[in-house]
Amino acid sequence: MREKILYGLGLVGMGLLAWNLYKIAFDLPHQANVAAYQIVYFHVPAAITAFTGFFVALVASGLYLATGALKYDAFAAGVTEVAVAFASVNLATGMIWARYAWGIWWAWDARLTSMLACWLIYAGYLILRRAIDEPTQRARLSAFLSIFGCVDVGFVYKSIEWFRTQHPAPVLSIRQGGGMGPGMESPIYWNWLAMLCIASLLVIVRMRQEDVSREIDSLRRMAHSY
Amino acid sequence: MTLLRQTLTIAGKDLRSELRTKEALNASLAFSVVIFLLFSFAFDPGNLNLDINEFSGGLLWLAFAFAAALSLNRSFARELQNDCLDALVASPATPGVLFLGKALANFTLLLAVEMISLAVFSVMYDVRIRPQFGSLLLVILMTTWAMTVIGTAFSALTVNLRMRELMLPILTYPFLIPPLMAAILLTTDLLAGMPIGGDNAIWVRVLVAFDVIFSLLAVVFIDIVLVG
Amino acid sequence: MDPKEFQYVFAGLVAAWLILVIYAVSLGLRERRLRKELDRVRKMVEKR
Repeated sequence: MREKILYGLGLVGMGLLAWNLYKIAFDLPHQANVAAYQIVYFHVPAAITAFTGFFVALVASGLYLATGALKYDAFAAGVTEVAVAFASVNLATGMIWARYAWGIWWAWDARLTSMLACWLIYAGYLILRRAIDEPTQRARLSAFLSIFGCVDVGFVYKSIEWFRTQHPAPVLSIRQGGGMGPGMESPIYWNWLAMLCIASLLVIVRMRQEDVSREIDSLRRMAHSY
Repeated sequence: MTLLRQTLTIAGKDLRSELRTKEALNASLAFSVVIFLLFSFAFDPGNLNLDINEFSGGLLWLAFAFAAALSLNRSFARELQNDCLDALVASPATPGVLFLGKALANFTLLLAVEMISLAVFSVMYDVRIRPQFGSLLLVILMTTWAMTVIGTAFSALTVNLRMRELMLPILTYPFLIPPLMAAILLTTDLLAGMPIGGDNAIWVRVLVAFDVIFSLLAVVFIDIVLVG
Repeated sequence: MDPKEFQYVFAGLVAAWLILVIYAVSLGLRERRLRKELDRVRKMVEKR
């Protein structure tokens, strides 16, 4: 059953992606013909996927703290790891876009720096988990970090609105001050959906590994207790 | 109000124990002066084209941030001997009160180090701090509180870990990037004589929001970390 | 699309998916290592 879900998600994700790529390359209205701008269609959804992941991890951490069931902690860890991967995609595509548009790989303005800080925070989360062996302590401390980290995510999200620097102002029509041309915005959302499918796929795979890892821990404990 | 009394008792205990030996105080102070010294090698002081006003804020806050890491690490680490941490957690003081007391003590010590370092800095780099001193003090107070809150919270978090000294900076500095960015930009402008306002005002709001939000979060959630 | 722009778009796409592919591969490697460990520990328990 699980295998079928995995394959299903993979197929849906890939399908959406292929359809979207076609649309971006050939089917957009005339204004979209600045070619490299099309990186935005991967840069923005990656960021939204990452933020969604961090928020879901926050909810999972909260559930762990409320119930004490370690499966929520495992879920939070898996989602955070996948979200960090998507945040890396966001940073990398951003850098390539920056090289094309502004001639430099990086700029130390408020938005880029705060996104990098967010990435560092959650990379620290992953490092923290590696540093603790005891499962309950690991879960507790990770949950605390997850709560703090998500507040910073809010800051990054808002910083695009608040600070007028090199990074483009909000372009999505759902945000204050945004608005692309008609018909140009939907590929962003479709790509987001595709990325969510792939993210869910990766999380499910990761969760399986967490289960195996916990089984190893308990078997090892059993083996050494004689 | 007993909550206030408990907080002040814990803060007083920490301050008294630190002032007896002055270990962390002297170490932080010496460290920040060394940083100023090392930075002077990075930039050629004889170069008349070099305008200190371009990076005065950055240099100052980098020194403060590194000095803070030294003293914040000890905050909970010194309670590990003789099970003092367990005793504190088991006392009638709630974890939030414990956190606030330690944060208050750390804040006072850090502020003392920073004020002295600021004087040394203005002498070493020939920077006038008298104009805009009120605004400068305000920025220093708010940012120091931000560093204290995050640093004390993560000191509590990492106190029982193997790699405590390594994990504290790794976790703390990314969180401090927004307030430090704000402080650096504001300080650079203030030391150049410009008042706060217009473009700068948003950074003041960032500092205030950061302080309020993270102070509340830390006090409310610290019992996750400080449980017995 | 002139060729230079195309290069950048291509580089961007490759970078984005390369990161995800590397992550997926690392997951796969971890899975293999975990399975081996699981088998080893199971054998250790059965021996007793």
